[in-house]
Amino acid sequence: MLHTKIIDLTKEKIEIVNAEKFIASSKCGASIYFVGTVRDLNNDKKVTGITYDSHDALVIKSFEEIYQESQGKFKFENSAVFIEHVKGHVKLGETSIIIAVACKHRAQAYDLSRFIIEEIKKRTPIWKKEHYENKDSEWLKGNPIKSS
Amino acid sequence: MKIKLELFGASRDFSNKDYLEFSLKEKSSIKDLRTEILNFVENNFKGNDNYKKLVQSSAFCSEENNIVSDNYKITKEQNIGIIPPIGGG
Repeated sequence: MLHTKIIDLTKEKIEIVNAEKFIASSKCGASIYFVGTVRDLNNDKKVTGITYDSHDALVIKSFEEIYQESQGKFKFENSAVFIEHVKGHVKLGETSIIIAVACKHRAQAYDLSRFIIEEIKKRTPIWKKEHYENKDSEWLKGNPIKSS
Repeated sequence: MKIKLELFGASRDFSNKDYLEFSLKEKSSIKDLRTEILNFVENNFKGNDNYKKLVQSSAFCSEENNIVSDNYKITKEQNIGIIPPIGGG
């Protein structure tokens, strides 16, 4: 069971209550919530916020592919996965991504959650522009995507 | 053949708009499009090295939302996305 969404911050908020509702199931005994937030320091620069950019269609496609791969890799029964990522400006301490998973057992939930965030970092087309205390800003260097 | 290049990430610095437009010959490939973008950087940003590296390290996305290789033939007028190195989360 999968839910994916890009949250356009000019239109709506990212809220963990939506994740809680989606993954709630009496078939699962373990839930993990991964919440990514904007950190105050990066490469010795004081960060005040991040603007996230997204190729929406490719992002959703990538979330679906990662989910399908996780199902093939782990073969867990009755798991639920909720992935939402924001686009737009996020202030210090605010949330950029929520990954919520529910599985029968805790080890499964930890494995699944970790797999999803690591794969998103490697291959999901989302970009960050950091804003600094001195008013400068810069796009962060990332990992090139290769054609399959 | 007109190609609308949709800009994402750092490539947004190439224009005040969300896209650039290029005229390509029939049966051009992504490799040809990449060359056109490099020419654009040469002409508009004095060959800015960082921008050239960005173009060289970017992937491209077809209108069908597939990441396509340099050999991919562009057979019709369409929107193509430039996908700079990624780093979300």
